Amino acid sequence: MNDHDAPQLVRTFTALIGESRIRAPRGRETRAASIIAEPRDAREVAEIIRKCEADAVTLAPIGAGRTLAEMRPVPVAVGVSLAHMAAIIAYEPDDMTIIAEPGLTLAALNRQTAQHGQHLPADPPHPELATLGALIGAAHAGPMRHAEGTVRDLLIGVRFAGHSGRLVHGGGRVVKNVAGYDLMKVMTGSFGTLGVITETTFKVRPIAEQYAFAFAAYGDVASACAAAAQIHHAAALAHLEVASPAASRAIGLRGGFTVIAGLGGSNAEVAELSARALSMLAPAAKIVTGAEAIAARERLRDCDFADAAIVALIAVPPAELARCLEPAEVEFVAHAGCGVARISLSSGANPAEARAALARIRTTVGAAGGNLRVLRAASEIRTGLEFFDQPPRAAFALMKTLKRTFDPHGVFNPQCFVGGL
Amino acid sequence: MSSNGTSRLDPHLIAELRAAIGDDAVVSRAAELKVYECDGWTIEKAAPEILLRPRTTAEVSAVLKILHRDGVAFVPRGAGTGLSGGCLPLGAPVMICTSRMNRILAVDYLSRRVEVESGVVNLHVSNAVAARGFFYAPDPSSQAACTIGGNIAENSGGPHTLKYGVTTNHVLGLEIVLPDGEIAALGSAAEERCGYDLVGAVVGAEGTAGIVTRATLKLTREPEARRTMLAVFNDVDDATRAVSAIIAAGIIPCAIELMDQLIIRAVEAAFHAGLPTDAGAVLIIELDGATAGLDDHAQRVGELVRGAGAREVRLARDDAERAILWKARKRAFGAVGRLAPNYATQDGVVPRTRLPDILRAIGAIALRNNLRIGNVFHAGDGNIHPIVLYDERDADQTRRAVAAGREILQACVAMGGSLTGEHGIGAEKIAEMPLIFSPEDLIVMSELRRVFDPGGRANPNKVIPTPGSCVEVSAPRRQVPI
Repeated sequence: MNDHDAPQLVRTFTALIGESRIRAPRGRETRAASIIAEPRDAREVAEIIRKCEADAVTLAPIGAGRTLAEMRPVPVAVGVSLAHMAAIIAYEPDDMTIIAEPGLTLAALNRQTAQHGQHLPADPPHPELATLGALIGAAHAGPMRHAEGTVRDLLIGVRFAGHSGRLVHGGGRVVKNVAGYDLMKVMTGSFGTLGVITETTFKVRPIAEQYAFAFAAYGDVASACAAAAQIHHAAALAHLEVASPAASRAIGLRGGFTVIAGLGGSNAEVAELSARALSMLAPAAKIVTGAEAIAARERLRDCDFADAAIVALIAVPPAELARCLEPAEVEFVAHAGCGVARISLSSGANPAEARAALARIRTTVGAAGGNLRVLRAASEIRTGLEFFDQPPRAAFALMKTLKRTFDPHGVFNPQCFVGGL
Repeated sequence: MSSNGTSRLDPHLIAELRAAIGDDAVVSRAAELKVYECDGWTIEKAAPEILLRPRTTAEVSAVLKILHRDGVAFVPRGAGTGLSGGCLPLGAPVMICTSRMNRILAVDYLSRRVEVESGVVNLHVSNAVAARGFFYAPDPSSQAACTIGGNIAENSGGPHTLKYGVTTNHVLGLEIVLPDGEIAALGSAAEERCGYDLVGAVVGAEGTAGIVTRATLKLTREPEARRTMLAVFNDVDDATRAVSAIIAAGIIPCAIELMDQLIIRAVEAAFHAGLPTDAGAVLIIELDGATAGLDDHAQRVGELVRGAGAREVRLARDDAERAILWKARKRAFGAVGRLAPNYATQDGVVPRTRLPDILRAIGAIALRNNLRIGNVFHAGDGNIHPIVLYDERDADQTRRAVAAGREILQACVAMGGSLTGEHGIGAEKIAEMPLIFSPEDLIVMSELRRVFDPGGRANPNKVIPTPGSCVEVSAPRRQVPI
């Protein structure tokens, strides 16, 4: 599959949609796709899909290329970049809804909405790179999931180009809507395996008037998680993390296992929450406010362990989190109230050790009723590494049918999702 | 008696079903089956040929395997409080009721998870965890009777979903028996999914994916405090504009409910709740959250609604006053019964900023059809529930009431809204689906449905229009409380 005849692909797709729409992959895109097509609208996306199906070549939607570059064992033939489909179609601040094209980055969207004191409260690492399409496709999330949920809770309408180039929509632009099947959920976290998203509609939310966070360091994972659970019970927080020593340092807080409790709301609320947090967390707890707090929150959001051998996302019932984070080789940022953590394994230069450590954590997470997804692995470790857990048998059978139904020609980002779908 | 036009079930099949789950779990006498001939949408009635009341997942599986072998269609049923005919058997001779699977299996307070069987009553979940300061957030008005399984089928909402979200935001894992009898575990107690979000596909699928037997739900912490207020307006237009003003100010109350003059007067005549009968509309606004700052928010909301034209704002001073306000709201539908022999409630959605427009449109539709239409609804979500008053003994009035309901839905769609905010498509609105979805959209949705149910035997003739499935609505929509 890695032997795409790139010049031939360029000729084929140039003939289809014009020279200005086709280019060579750049940087990390080279690991994701052999050529890059840049359609200007849903119709062109549909044409590309039909051509790929007719010629039996693979395609995948591509934003910044981060996710695909990591997960693709080999590049797809055509990376469908949505960089030129990045417009805001309609933003209604008073309805708190926004319709935008999938190539728009989260940061760009939030610059617009910020003018009205609103934001799309999804905060994956590096929102200046995260396109809305990738946000949905890879179901990215960050600390704000604690109070605002994830993209799954915020996406209220979607349009996508499916097999045969058919243009499909689900949902709408109202915040409460149960008409028809929930295609938004089907597309969320589907990693481009079911079609190419061409338009997105989200709920947006007000930005809290005031933000601060409280933090306190603990000597071990268990006591940090216990403290986090206690403050979670006592206060409605904006976010709640437990960070390992290396992660704490990366965020700019001193080492130790740090509990970070986000405090949002009116001035009065934040003042009261701050007092409560100080009284509950360890004696050395501190409050950070203002621009300093916002900068630290961004470092927390962006802490993605760029140099680690393996980075993974684990999710378990929150009460099970502590024991999944205990292995000494693990560094992490854990969203304690959600039972979700981004973990990193740096096992020196030994790929076998890193794989073995991952397997152990996978077993622990599985036994705790959760799941693990690899986000990134160093190239010497990637070969043969399962990025996704294997779903239970009956569920997987449904997933295979879903994939076959939505992608009968098998062209949409094949062979890198769960169970090789 | 079957009213589905299908042939009678084979007696051998019935005997086999009895053997599989026990005689006491099978209802087949016509008189008893009459109870199950409709849900809260009473326009159309059809009793199943047989009702099965399994107690366990294994029994559901055994039953569905038998039905699968013989190619027999079935309809799942919870408590039958649905409002769109979702559990009306249309071409499905067998009804499978989950109400005996009503155990709360496990509560994990630290993780804020509860695992329940699907026949558990919604309110029982909240009651079971209330002592520890938790609740289950989705709160449909039928919550004292409706089941979690039914909520999952319909993706139910309620007044407080403005802040807390609807059912799909609170369901993490499901156990479902697929139409071929296979038991599938979808999702888990963890927040992230492994593979496609099949839980998200099943919630709101209106019982067409199979029979959900268990669910893992999120629990929500009780807020520290609440502030509930009544804002009184001379003009309904001002009331609807006030809704947008509050939302636009960045304040998300946990509920904003609107009642117009017709409803206010009916409520006052019935219950003397102290609502001003000369008002054009009132809003009931509830805020919740941390005690600190809540009074500031309440004051700000007061300023905003006054700015939008409220002539008076009353803050409930204690729980008793709060209870009176909510009683007035929740009993509104009962009160409407005094105004006309019959009434029919619609469920539509518009973008919040279009509330003034849709209420004006409803006024015009009432005038044009020479009908009275009252409004009591979830204003904060833009989820309207117009109540069309009529007398079913008057055929022409009945016809006009049906027409008015459809015109209201068309107006919602024209304003960028939707056919249903929380009641579902069911049998009721199947004919209207093409108003908002293209043939291509509907094909894809039916393909998604067939992923779970290739034989098309789970709750057939619902949600997606197919030739022959469209119900010709000859009488207005239901008259049950929302």
